[in-house]
Amino acid sequence: MKNKSQKKLEKTVSRRFLFLSLLKGSIIGTIGWRLFDLQLVENRKYEKLSKDNQFNYIIIAPERGRILDRKMRLLAGNMDGFSLVLNWNKNLNVHQIIKKISANIILTEKDINNFYNRIKYQKNNFAKQILITKNLSQKDVSKLAVRSIEFPEISFSMSKRRVYPQGIIAGHITGYTGPYSEKIENSSLHGIDVGKRGLEKFFDAQLRGEFGRKRNEVTSKGYIIDSQIYESTKPGIDIQVSLDMKLQAFAVERLERGNYDLVSVDNKNIKNQISKLKNFNFSSNNHVYVNKKKRVVNPQSGSLIVMDINNGEIICSVSTPGFDPNIFSTDLEVDEWNYVKNNSRSPLLNRSMAGVYPPGSTIKMAVALAALESGMIDYKTKFFCNGLKELGTSKFHCWAKDGHGNLNLMEAIEQSCDVFFYELGLKVGIDKIALMMKKLGLGQYYDIQIHDRARGVVPNIEWKLKRDGLNWSIGETLNASIGQGYILTTPLQLVTMVSRIANGKFAVNPSLTMSSVNKNFKVLNINVEHLNFIKKAMEKVVIGKKGTARNYKIGTKNIEMAGKTGTVQVVRITELEREQGLIKNEDRPWKKRDHALFVGYAPTIYPKYAISVVVEHGGSGSSVAAPIARDVFKHLFKL
Amino acid sequence: MNINTNKFSSETKITIFFSKLLKINWIIIFCLIFLGLVGVASLYSAAGGDWNPWAKNHLIRLIFGFCLMFFIAFIPSIFFSKYSVVSFILGIFSLILVQIIGSGSVQRWISLGSINFQPSEFMKLALILILAKYFDHISKIQLNKLIPYIIPILIIMTPGFLVISQPDLGTGLTIILLGLSILFFVGISFKFVIFSILISIGSVPLIWQQLYEYQQQRILVFLNPEMDSLGSGYQIIQSKIAIGSGGLFGKGYLLGTQSRLNYLPEKHTDFIFTLISEELGFLGSISIILVFSLLIASIMKISFNVESLFSKVVVFGVGFLIFLYLSLNIGMVCGLLPVVGAPLPLVSYGGTSLLTVLVGVGIVLSINIHDKKA
Repeated sequence: MKNKSQKKLEKTVSRRFLFLSLLKGSIIGTIGWRLFDLQLVENRKYEKLSKDNQFNYIIIAPERGRILDRKMRLLAGNMDGFSLVLNWNKNLNVHQIIKKISANIILTEKDINNFYNRIKYQKNNFAKQILITKNLSQKDVSKLAVRSIEFPEISFSMSKRRVYPQGIIAGHITGYTGPYSEKIENSSLHGIDVGKRGLEKFFDAQLRGEFGRKRNEVTSKGYIIDSQIYESTKPGIDIQVSLDMKLQAFAVERLERGNYDLVSVDNKNIKNQISKLKNFNFSSNNHVYVNKKKRVVNPQSGSLIVMDINNGEIICSVSTPGFDPNIFSTDLEVDEWNYVKNNSRSPLLNRSMAGVYPPGSTIKMAVALAALESGMIDYKTKFFCNGLKELGTSKFHCWAKDGHGNLNLMEAIEQSCDVFFYELGLKVGIDKIALMMKKLGLGQYYDIQIHDRARGVVPNIEWKLKRDGLNWSIGETLNASIGQGYILTTPLQLVTMVSRIANGKFAVNPSLTMSSVNKNFKVLNINVEHLNFIKKAMEKVVIGKKGTARNYKIGTKNIEMAGKTGTVQVVRITELEREQGLIKNEDRPWKKRDHALFVGYAPTIYPKYAISVVVEHGGSGSSVAAPIARDVFKHLFKL
Repeated sequence: MNINTNKFSSETKITIFFSKLLKINWIIIFCLIFLGLVGVASLYSAAGGDWNPWAKNHLIRLIFGFCLMFFIAFIPSIFFSKYSVVSFILGIFSLILVQIIGSGSVQRWISLGSINFQPSEFMKLALILILAKYFDHISKIQLNKLIPYIIPILIIMTPGFLVISQPDLGTGLTIILLGLSILFFVGISFKFVIFSILISIGSVPLIWQQLYEYQQQRILVFLNPEMDSLGSGYQIIQSKIAIGSGGLFGKGYLLGTQSRLNYLPEKHTDFIFTLISEELGFLGSISIILVFSLLIASIMKISFNVESLFSKVVVFGVGFLIFLYLSLNIGMVCGLLPVVGAPLPLVSYGGTSLLTVLVGVGIVLSINIHDKKA
């Protein structure tokens, strides 16, 4: 019995032995298969993950290219800056260290706050470098370096800071750089400065150069144990632009001054006035402008552009008030930003290219050309001006209350007679006028190297129907004929228009680059005789006895300017107001004053440069804008 | 022929010694030495190419362990049968003791001067011995009913739950699995096996509530490692990366980036296998497994050949213990099992599992030498 049961047991044990061996074999097989899967099948995936663990890559920015003017003056360059960083790990007593540093150098409150924020918003407790301040002077560096034993946790790093030596005078053109912030594209660019506006933005790809990469070998706790250049950088290319900063500087000063006088702020009366003013733009720290009544005033705001009529190069492009792009190079101060952003005169707006104004009488050349080209009038055609054109129940006034009498086209341009152009508009019709405006470059974008720009408006019958679903009325044609109503232009378009008239052959386009490449402008396709007649009329504006700019001749034998004034009404004047007598421009609130415009070119023989001047709410084109243009030409020709 | 009787007797002793030495299974010894040296080399690499702090100590422990193993191998196997009950009672006693005076927040160790003693490891061997003794004894009476299994289940569950409550889930489960495998080995009916599997599945929610939060966390993270890639799941993810990035040939000895840059947690103890896999690749890791398999197979072969049930069960138990160590450890590091904290014997740094295996193999060798049939 016993024997039998034992034999049975032996048999069971053998069977179980086999069964368990199989089980063990299959488990070990599973492990082997798992290793095969991890190490051979999915090897690539894990190799990548391992590399991601082992290395992290840091983008290194090359030195950014410079921006230079036509005479190689520096518009944007780089300056060495020193940064202070903390080699942080979670065991450091950060407050203690900051206290110690503050005892030696001055840390601004903002730097300290930013620093604590950076620590607070850390995702993990890995050791890393945290920026304390970017604005360390050479002196600060040496102060701390001497005591380097006391500060084992800090280190310095050299960085390049963007500087704009021209400061406020070319802010709109150069633009500025700022940390990369667009989310979609390459996130590794985060924190690296890229062009944000103006030329910095347009030429960003060239200026930026090619980014390199540094490869750090890091431990799981974030300590860097090895670091090497993985991809080397390629410095950015210098960009030369057509501006002449000397002229630009003169033009800014001249435009801001207008017809005002410069006085020192030390004067007691002046000091008193300033303390009461709000939202005031100083021209400089020591001087302010005063008007004829000795009241302190803001500098004139507006635009001034000088353009080469042959190749379209822009020699100067001023927009006032401006902003200093340097404020964006360091961490932007809140008050500085608020001042720039909330200023009622919008310093950030590039008036030259993105500001739109009704062209006023400066449009009259285009209307005249449209009439001449259509063949409906000739040089001798005369109209009578009694100061008023009545159309149905509406009255359209000439700027001269008593009228100009009987005059021809040449005289009408010279004296800027409005009634003459009302008649012309009626004869030619809006569509033909609009076509000519387009031909002369209005109502369109140019291929200019600045991204923020405006298109303006050149209205015609179709345009109005599309916009408002309304029919065009004849009265609107009359308004358009003297550059009021719907029509809107940018100063850049005006200077282009004059350039094309002065050039006579080609439809010149404005450009900020100095390319030696032959610019293939389209043929203008306007009768040269007609153009010459218009040019003659523009000369008369300055040299004619009754010319609207006759008081502002350059007055030399060889060089004289030609042009056209424009005074743009900003608010509608009612018949009642007219009867009661017009309030003088200076007595109206600033916002309700007329815009003063002047467009022109010089010299009259073999023209070279075109100009457009817009003084916002500056008063009359002839007394405010024309002298500015004359002085700029004088400076340009060194007279 | 002036041979002295004394001399003769001493010669016989030497002869006996040599005859015993010849009976030693040298394949097992080879496997053990190989694995031990792999451990030393890996620990040298884990320290970044330094004998300190682990490799040197490990080598010393290995030498000591081998001496102990040989010493045990020459003890007649009847000795283990005789003292099995005493050792089990001692084991239970020390497990209770560890609850009272154990050191550390997790009570696993008893400090005896400079030596830390972990009773739960000793318990594994004691459990094998007492179960072997029990079944050897009971087999002479009867073994075809369920009633004789009640005592061994108590024998298994008592130390098992004591260890789990330390809390050491890994070791506790190892003890229970080991005991149950022996029950199965000696012929418990399949009906009972299925019944107990159903019982254990049914008791999962109950056990879940009993688990400590960190244990629950580990199991949850095992089921979804990405759930907490910087916390508990970190170990599993980094370990898989290390193994996977090794490829066929590995990154080269001393060149494992995951280990060098400290991405591997516990790289010198429970996760030593990941370091080997990373540096020596699939070929390296599969070799380790093959050598382990050879070791287990050799022990199993002895179990198959020996005569008495006691010997059979003891040898099987030791072999199965090594198998459990191996599969728990590697299953854990390559993400097949939750992180339960199981060392890779002979390779991982740490004396207890090394001693357990070497003493166990010592007993196996002793049985191999002294068993009548072998």
